[in-house]
Amino acid sequence: MTSTTTVTAQRQQRPLLRTRFWMHWSAPAIMLIPTVAVLVSLSLFPMFYSLWLSFNEWNLGDRTATWRFVGLKNFITIFTTDPFFWPSVRVSVTFTGVTVAVQVLLGLGIALLFSEEFRGRGLLRTLIVLPLMISPVVAGLIWRFMYNTDLGMVNYLLYLMGFDKVDWLGRQISAMPAVMLADIWQWTPFVALILMAAIQALPDEPFEAALIDGANRWQMFRYLTLPMIRPALMVAILIRTMDSFKIFDLIYVLTLGGPGVSTQVLGLYTYKWGFKFFQMGYASALSYLMIFMMVVFANIIVFFMRRRVD
Amino acid sequence: MGQRIAWLVFKRLLIAITTIFFVAPIILIFLTSIKSRVDALAFPPVWIFQPTFMNFEEIFGLYDFGHYFRNSLVAASTSTIFAMALGVPAAYSLARYKFRGHSNLAFWILSIRITPPIAAMIPVFILFRNLRLLDSIPGLVLIYCTFNLPFVVWMMRGFFEDLPIDLEESAMVDGCSRFGAFTRVALVLAAPGLASTAILTFLFTWNEFIFALVLTGTTARTMPVAVQLFMRETGILWGHMTAAAVIMMLPTVVLTFFIQRYLVRGLTFGAIK
Repeated sequence: MTSTTTVTAQRQQRPLLRTRFWMHWSAPAIMLIPTVAVLVSLSLFPMFYSLWLSFNEWNLGDRTATWRFVGLKNFITIFTTDPFFWPSVRVSVTFTGVTVAVQVLLGLGIALLFSEEFRGRGLLRTLIVLPLMISPVVAGLIWRFMYNTDLGMVNYLLYLMGFDKVDWLGRQISAMPAVMLADIWQWTPFVALILMAAIQALPDEPFEAALIDGANRWQMFRYLTLPMIRPALMVAILIRTMDSFKIFDLIYVLTLGGPGVSTQVLGLYTYKWGFKFFQMGYASALSYLMIFMMVVFANIIVFFMRRRVD
Repeated sequence: MGQRIAWLVFKRLLIAITTIFFVAPIILIFLTSIKSRVDALAFPPVWIFQPTFMNFEEIFGLYDFGHYFRNSLVAASTSTIFAMALGVPAAYSLARYKFRGHSNLAFWILSIRITPPIAAMIPVFILFRNLRLLDSIPGLVLIYCTFNLPFVVWMMRGFFEDLPIDLEESAMVDGCSRFGAFTRVALVLAAPGLASTAILTFLFTWNEFIFALVLTGTTARTMPVAVQLFMRETGILWGHMTAAAVIMMLPTVVLTFFIQRYLVRGLTFGAIK
C-alpha cells in the first residue's frame, strides 16, 4: 500500500490529465516499436534479401565477382543436376521420421512410468530431463566419447558381452543409427517432460469412474489418458519435427555429414554451399527450399491436430 | 499377488534403466574430466582412481580457455539483458492492447523462431561482413538479442496474460500512469516468469552454436565453437575435452534445477502451461 501512496503523491505534481491521455495511446506503440524495429532490420530484411539472393549467382569467395541475376537457374540446378540434394533430403526426412517416432513412443512410455508415485520421483524426473538442457555441441562430444572405438563405453559394453570393437561413426551403415541414437538420447526427455506435465494435469474423476466401471489399465490408457493428453502430444510432435528437420550442430560435431554423405542433412548441405564454397545464391536457394519443406510439414501436422479433435 | 509384485519390480527396473540411460553419459564425462591422463586412456575403463583437477587447470593454462569462457559469458548475459529490455515491454503491449493486426504481429514474431538458423545465417553473414561486425562481441550480442526476442516476447506475453488486469486498473485509479502500472504492478507480479524467461534465454545463448560458428573467428569465439574445434585438433586428449564439456554443462545443470517449474512452458513456447 505504501508504494501506491508514494506513486499517487508523485503523480500529482505533474499535469495529470494530459500525461495520462498521451501515455494511454502511445504506450503500446512505444513499447512495441523497438522490438519490431530490431526484428525487421535484423530478421525480416535479411530474409527478403536472401530470397532475392536465391535468384542470383554470387561467389563471395571471389573478391571481384559481383551479383548476376540468373532467374530460376539455382532451383533448376538443385532439382535436376545436383547429385547431393535429393540424398540430403532423404537423409533429413529419414532422420526426422525415425528420431521423432522413437522419441514420441519412448517419451510417452517414460512419462507414464514416471507419473506413478515412487520415492525420489521428483529428483529422478529432473535428472532425466538434463540431456535436453545441455548444448547439442556437448551432447555431440559426449556421444563421440561414447562411440570412440578404443575407449568408448558402447564398445566396452560390447566387449563385456564378448563382441568385437566397432567404429560406429566411421562406417557407412552404422553412422546414421549412431547419430540418431545421440539425438534420441538428447530429445526423448523433451517429449517425456511435456507429457509428464500433461498427465499430471489430468483430472481424477474420469479415472475413478472408469475404475468403478471395471475398466482395465489398457482401456483407461487408450480411452482416457491418450485422448486427454493428445493436444500436448501433438505440440511435442510439431516442435520435435521442426527441430529435428533443421538439425545441424549435433551432426556437425559427430560426423560432419560423413562418412561420405551418409549423414549429410539439408542444414549441413546448405552450410557447405554457403560457408565452404561461398556460393551465396545457391545456398540461399537451398535454404528457402528447406523453409518451404518445413512449412509443408508443419501444415500437415497442424491439419492432423485439428482434424481428429472435431 | 505374486503377479502384482513382479509387475512392480519390472516397473522399478524400467525406471532405473531409463535413469541410467539418460544420466550415465553425463556422469561418465564428469568422471573422465577428473581422471589423470593415464587413467582416462585405460581400457577397460578404471572406476576407482585418484581424482585430479589437472585437466581443468590445463585447459585454462595451456589453451587460453578463459578467453572463450569470458566471450560466452559476456555474449550470453549482455544479449539476454537487451532481449529482455526490448522484449518485455513489447510482450506487455501485445498482452494488454488488442489493436488491429495484433495477432498477425504475434504470429510473425513466432515464425522467426521457427526459421532454420542456417537460412537466417546466409543474409546475416553478408550483412555483418558489410557492417564489419564479423568476429566481434557486439555483433554476436546483436544477433543473439534479435533471435532471442521472439522467445522473450512470446513467453512474457503468456505470463502477462495470466495476470488479472484488475490490479493494474486499481493501481491506475490510485493515480499510477499506464506505464507505472506496467513497471510497478505487472512487472513485479510477473517476476517469477521474468526470471525464468531470462534464465532460459541465457541458456539458449550459452549453448548456441551455428551463429557463433559462422560469425566468429579467434577474437569473439565462444565456448561451443572452441570446444568443437578443440576436439578436432587434439582428438585424443579426452581429459581436456571432457573438462571443457563439464564447464559448459555446469551452468545448465545448476540453472535447470531453478527453473523446473517453467521448463515445460519455456520449451514449448508457452503452448503448454
